Amino acid sequence: MADSRAPVLANSTAYNVEAVRRDFPILSETVYGKPLVFLDSGASAQKPRQVIEAMRDCMEHQYSNVHRGAHYMSAATTDAFETARERVQKFLNAGSPDEIVFTANVTAAINLVANSFGRAFLREGDEVIVSEMEHHANIVPWQMLAEATGVKLVVAPVEDDGSFRLERFAELLTDRTRFVAITHCSNVLGTRVPAKELVQLAHDAGAKVLLDGAQAAVHGPVDVRDLDADFYGFTAHKLYGPTGLGVLYGKLDLLNAMPPWQGGGEMIEKVSFKGTTYKEAPHRFEAGTPAIVEAIGLGAAIGYVEELGRDAIAAHEQGLLNYANERLRSIDGVRLIGTAADKAAIVSFLVDGIHPYDVAAVLDRQGVACRVGHHCAEPLMDRLGVIGTVRASFGLYNTLAEVDALAEGIEKAKRMLG
Amino acid sequence: MAREDYQEFAETLEALDDEDMRFEYILDLAKAQDREEFPEEWKTEDNLMHGCMSRVWIVHDREGGRHYFRGASEAAIVKGLVRMMTKTFSGLTDEEIRQFNVDDVRRLNLGALTFQRQVGMMAMLKHMQKLAGQPAATEA
Repeated sequence: MADSRAPVLANSTAYNVEAVRRDFPILSETVYGKPLVFLDSGASAQKPRQVIEAMRDCMEHQYSNVHRGAHYMSAATTDAFETARERVQKFLNAGSPDEIVFTANVTAAINLVANSFGRAFLREGDEVIVSEMEHHANIVPWQMLAEATGVKLVVAPVEDDGSFRLERFAELLTDRTRFVAITHCSNVLGTRVPAKELVQLAHDAGAKVLLDGAQAAVHGPVDVRDLDADFYGFTAHKLYGPTGLGVLYGKLDLLNAMPPWQGGGEMIEKVSFKGTTYKEAPHRFEAGTPAIVEAIGLGAAIGYVEELGRDAIAAHEQGLLNYANERLRSIDGVRLIGTAADKAAIVSFLVDGIHPYDVAAVLDRQGVACRVGHHCAEPLMDRLGVIGTVRASFGLYNTLAEVDALAEGIEKAKRMLG
Repeated sequence: MAREDYQEFAETLEALDDEDMRFEYILDLAKAQDREEFPEEWKTEDNLMHGCMSRVWIVHDREGGRHYFRGASEAAIVKGLVRMMTKTFSGLTDEEIRQFNVDDVRRLNLGALTFQRQVGMMAMLKHMQKLAGQPAATEA
């Protein structure tokens, strides 16, 4: 989609979104005879040909199982797989590749921490803090832990405008607080949590912190050492990489103190019926054959994002967010849900008198792909008193013209359904 | 009679070659559905059809060997689809409900309207067959 207004974007005149779009084959597809306007990257992002080619190249030219096999292909694939881990390490500025555990997704990363760290180190009466704006993936594993161990779940509030206030979080810290599991960026509201200050507060209270970076890792630079996060999770498929692969960062001493969660091949040092000893991190948490091709795909995705520049991407997306806010606010009857000052390019909204599902259906007919519903955050919907929202989530390939298509689709929905 | 309702829906949808008009037709069905009684007290958890992006309630009765359905939804487009399905299925016998299959839903060509709707209709078909105590249609 041509975008003649790109130069008005602050700090992003060098960012050539049209060239970026040519890297994504799917963006030239049409739906219902109309150009695809993909505003659902928050659910899963599209893939550039650099990722597709890296994965195909692996399967065509250099593939085998990893960490075993006394042959060339196995050694070469292991090298590529471990190189991908190093790319993730640098992407997060982790201290060592051993702090990078490959999981299936962020959900699996959080479940790993809840089941391993949680069951080993948390006791009945200990308090785990989550927030009202968590994805179900960062609620349910802790509820399951609470049921199994008697750990108490404490919920940090979100303001009416979707902002997150540290002072209200701080009030919840007690001498029983042992763990904080909180999103770095809300998948519904786009709200960024002031993570560095939050981690500091939690550490001062003696608690460990897990940040759910499923959205945050996509929309801006993440430095786990600067944040001083104990655990950080993100997923490849939202970062323009493949599905089936997530990442858990954990501080090395913590990971090595934690018992394995799943048993099997790859994670053991020695197995006998008298007992089994486990490898050090990260391998003790990677039972079974890992997602080899996907890890190589993630490595390529990180390479792609870094080449564009994470700050440049963030600036481009901020321009999209500002323009979307402006366009949507100018439409009578549109209510933005989540207007915190520090937001990633995720816009939830409602249209007065029209069910969000109907709005999304009309948008869909215009080729505009949005998500609708509770976005796996039902407690947040309850807190905000809404049945669900329509969500437009932007990625590095979206344009101002696509924001216009969204606004025009909403106008059309109002004409048809209002 | 219920077959006739189905025929009318199918023929009208087929005759409307403009997608916006097809959309408008479904919204008209939704408005017709709004005029039918569906008291708030029927909107219970038991009557809720789970797994929909908007809430759908379907109430089932059996009288003289025939099945009768009434339905409601919060979303207008879904409400139009609820009308199609409840009208189509009301007055049918066990056997007739069993015979209605996924191809009948496909014939409405809702996928051309929006793909989500066709998926939703399939789910509604199976849900109503289950309510009627009949085996749910399976995908070919």
